[in-house]
Amino acid sequence: MSKETHDADVAFIRALAELLRDNDLTELQVKRDYGEDDSLNVRVSRMQPQAAPVQMYAAPQAAPMMAPGTQVAHAAPAGDTLPEDPAAHPGAVTSPMVGTVYMQAEPGAAPFITLGAQVKEGDTLLIVEAMKTMNHIPAPRSGTVKRILVEDGAPVEYGAPLVILE
Amino acid sequence: MWPDGYGRILLDGVDSTNAEALRRAGDLAGPAWICAHRQSAGRGRRGRAWAMPEGNFAASLALRTAEPPERRALRSFVAALALFDAVAEAVGSDRGLALKWPNDVLLNGGKMAGILLEGQGEVLVIGLGVNLVAVPDAAALETGAVAAVSILGETGVRVGAEDFLDRLAAAYAPWETRLVTYGFEPVRQAWLARAARLGERIVARTARETHEGTFETVDASGALVLKTAKGRESIAAADIFFG
Repeated sequence: MSKETHDADVAFIRALAELLRDNDLTELQVKRDYGEDDSLNVRVSRMQPQAAPVQMYAAPQAAPMMAPGTQVAHAAPAGDTLPEDPAAHPGAVTSPMVGTVYMQAEPGAAPFITLGAQVKEGDTLLIVEAMKTMNHIPAPRSGTVKRILVEDGAPVEYGAPLVILE
Repeated sequence: MWPDGYGRILLDGVDSTNAEALRRAGDLAGPAWICAHRQSAGRGRRGRAWAMPEGNFAASLALRTAEPPERRALRSFVAALALFDAVAEAVGSDRGLALKWPNDVLLNGGKMAGILLEGQGEVLVIGLGVNLVAVPDAAALETGAVAAVSILGETGVRVGAEDFLDRLAAAYAPWETRLVTYGFEPVRQAWLARAARLGERIVARTARETHEGTFETVDASGALVLKTAKGRESIAAADIFFG
């Protein structure tokens, strides 16, 4: 791949990132064909602090087909933080078991927590169900809900980050 | 005989025995059964109402345990085995009784009871509702669910709620001891020996997906193991349908 193509690709991705931000989108995927066996696949996504929670532990998506030498399949607009490993975050509350997440006591009820909410140590953050046992996951300490990393009904693995409390 | 070390609290009426058990758990010296003749707001899984016609059974066992959540969730199987044994004792036969993963007790293929476990901090409550004499209105049942049956309707044996509480508590205690002393394996083996549709095709519906396959076993974590077209899947939370 020539230097020119590379620069053009970077400019293209940057433009996509701007498009994403300006239109308040969460994800954008584009395939650009340059010629036979020469194409660029770009998927740009970003964390949306105010929007629906982002599923971090979903089954891996099939990787897009990429022409050899193609650069960058994933980029984020400058200024937005890339999703670092949330499990490593000091404020992460992780799942103590494999199961299904529920965000409210029962369907139709208010969720236990919302983004930005203050919680006290011991407050229920969410429920993880396994073997028909509803396990209330308590806040390990008081703090503010900075991120919610799971969605209602999502399957979680042992150790999966659920919520970030700060 | 009432088992040593377990409290016995009998109430005329309550909103839900699980709710009552959670409220009282902090004051209890040891494990205790809380039984009510009437429930005004009996609850099932995920907000489903549990209807309780007069004469049926509702009780919750409140326990304190420092075990990790995945370990205490295995009491789903302990509770199902205890209920199976208590019904077999009460009617004098285990004919027609079978278990559906993880904790449904079936009688002649129908749903005779419901078990709901809730863990909060170090408290675990195990709620059991049993159709001793009557079947709730069809309107209260979820569509596609196994038809509801009662012990009286299927066997002709009328069991009183207090009598059933004594049998259930007596049946539960040895399974609890086995779990605590020897771990899950003897519980798992006993459960599998009473399982419905083992080796047959079943459907497991999670909040998001439907898995269909051969019901192979229950693994050491209590998960349902299905052999599907995609391979072997172990499922920790799902509703099971026999189709």
